[in-house]
Amino acid sequence: MSPALFSQLCALGSSLVLITGIAILWRHSLAVYIDYFARQSFVFVLVILGVAAYAGEAELYLVAAMVFLFKVMLIPRILRRVRRHVGVDIEVRPYVNVPASVALAGLLTLIAYAVTRPVVEISGLPTRAGIPLALAVVFVGLLIVVSRRSALAQIVGFLVLENGIALLAILATYGVPLIVELGAFLDVLLGFLVMQVFVYRIRETFDTIDVDRLSGLRH
Amino acid sequence: MMTALLVEALQALLTLALAPGLIGLVRFLKARLQGRRGAPLWQPYRDLRRMLRQEVVLSTDASWLFRAAPFVVFGSVLVVSLLVPLIAAPLPFDEVGDLVVVVYLLLLGTFVLSLAGLDPGSAFGGMGSSREMTIAALAEPTIALAIFGLGVRAGSTNLGRIVARTLASPAETLGPGHLLAFAALFIVMLAETGRLPVDNPATHLELTMIHEAMLLEYSGRYLALLEWASAMKFLIFQALLANLFVPWGVAVSLSPRALLVALGALVLKLAALGAGVALLETRLAKLRLFRVPELLSVSFLLALLAITASFVMR
Repeated sequence: MSPALFSQLCALGSSLVLITGIAILWRHSLAVYIDYFARQSFVFVLVILGVAAYAGEAELYLVAAMVFLFKVMLIPRILRRVRRHVGVDIEVRPYVNVPASVALAGLLTLIAYAVTRPVVEISGLPTRAGIPLALAVVFVGLLIVVSRRSALAQIVGFLVLENGIALLAILATYGVPLIVELGAFLDVLLGFLVMQVFVYRIRETFDTIDVDRLSGLRH
Repeated sequence: MMTALLVEALQALLTLALAPGLIGLVRFLKARLQGRRGAPLWQPYRDLRRMLRQEVVLSTDASWLFRAAPFVVFGSVLVVSLLVPLIAAPLPFDEVGDLVVVVYLLLLGTFVLSLAGLDPGSAFGGMGSSREMTIAALAEPTIALAIFGLGVRAGSTNLGRIVARTLASPAETLGPGHLLAFAALFIVMLAETGRLPVDNPATHLELTMIHEAMLLEYSGRYLALLEWASAMKFLIFQALLANLFVPWGVAVSLSPRALLVALGALVLKLAALGAGVALLETRLAKLRLFRVPELLSVSFLLALLAITASFVMR
């Protein structure tokens, strides 16, 4: 594969990861949030496989397999079960309405382009075109966390954010050492499991997973 | 020069002739996908012929504007058909107007039609006009931005030049920005031509109408002109999508053989896109009017990303 073509494909893959992230912002249904997260992780797996094949890094195949197992299969499945259990489906009245959050996502992408400019310029890797997009995925994940009310949507936002960080690592350096990757992975998984338990507890105590209700005392 | 002008004339004739057929194709495929038999492909031609013969009934409140509007709408679309590379690029009329002219000529048609919808003072017409303006205001910048995204890489805002340049060096001009711009323009096409997630072209319920609501007061040859113009607008948008993003097949020389190939390619591409629209319309339900701005803001974002990607990857 020629470097130019690979570079284009990387940029395309990263754009798709970003777009699936933004797609979450313009939907209202929590079930769709989870679907889009699974799709985003799947595109991410394809990007990792592409980089692994191009750079000849055997470790990356393992990373791809892990991401596929956890983020495409396992975590979405658990999330769906939680959603069914909690019994809410619609993200009502997000803190930031849909057109504004989509516009914000565009602005954040521009900011990501601006701040990664020095990094992109000194990087010699053919994957560098995707670096600003990966940072934009991180921003979009954060935006989902802060702009949505439901605890489940915030978890999805957190997972999108994590996807962004991992994508950034892959594109900027062809992946961090495997041991670090494993550590980060375990962290995310544990964090996710704890959050999942939290959602159940919040629901049990307050009868809702709208985090806005947690700030006031219960009468 | 003479052949070039002939090609221009041919483009206008093609737009006139193929537009009702494309609408017929979409309707036919949609009917088939929904398990109905569907009217034949040439039904829109029959409709046009019948409407052209029918008597015109005018509201007593209608002014000259109401009678002039169909001609302005039809004329503006016809001029656009000369500026858009349908079968050959670059065209001699490229010097007359570029992308900006195309966008604003299309907007001129929308604007005049909205005025005409308000003119007879019927409630539904005004409602349609106000909705159409809301959508146009949100959609128009996206069209310009999406095509500018392509223009950045081709180094020109001239539609013909963009196509010629993409054909000459595909590796340099094609990129992820291309795909994003295509998605953005596709969404805007659905909104601007009154297709399903935004407006239902087959609706009989006045309350949900947008485009049709403005035409409610029209009859006879005026209605025929407006229906024809909206079919041509649909064809022009499809041709833009087809030829700007998949330019292969467009004639770069004016030899008869190249033109014939271009014509075949155009018909194939239009049929494929039409089938895509029909499939989409069978799968989607109409969006609530208040969610339309959300959809259009997404397409605006896609266009914005497309243009940033093109700038950075240059």
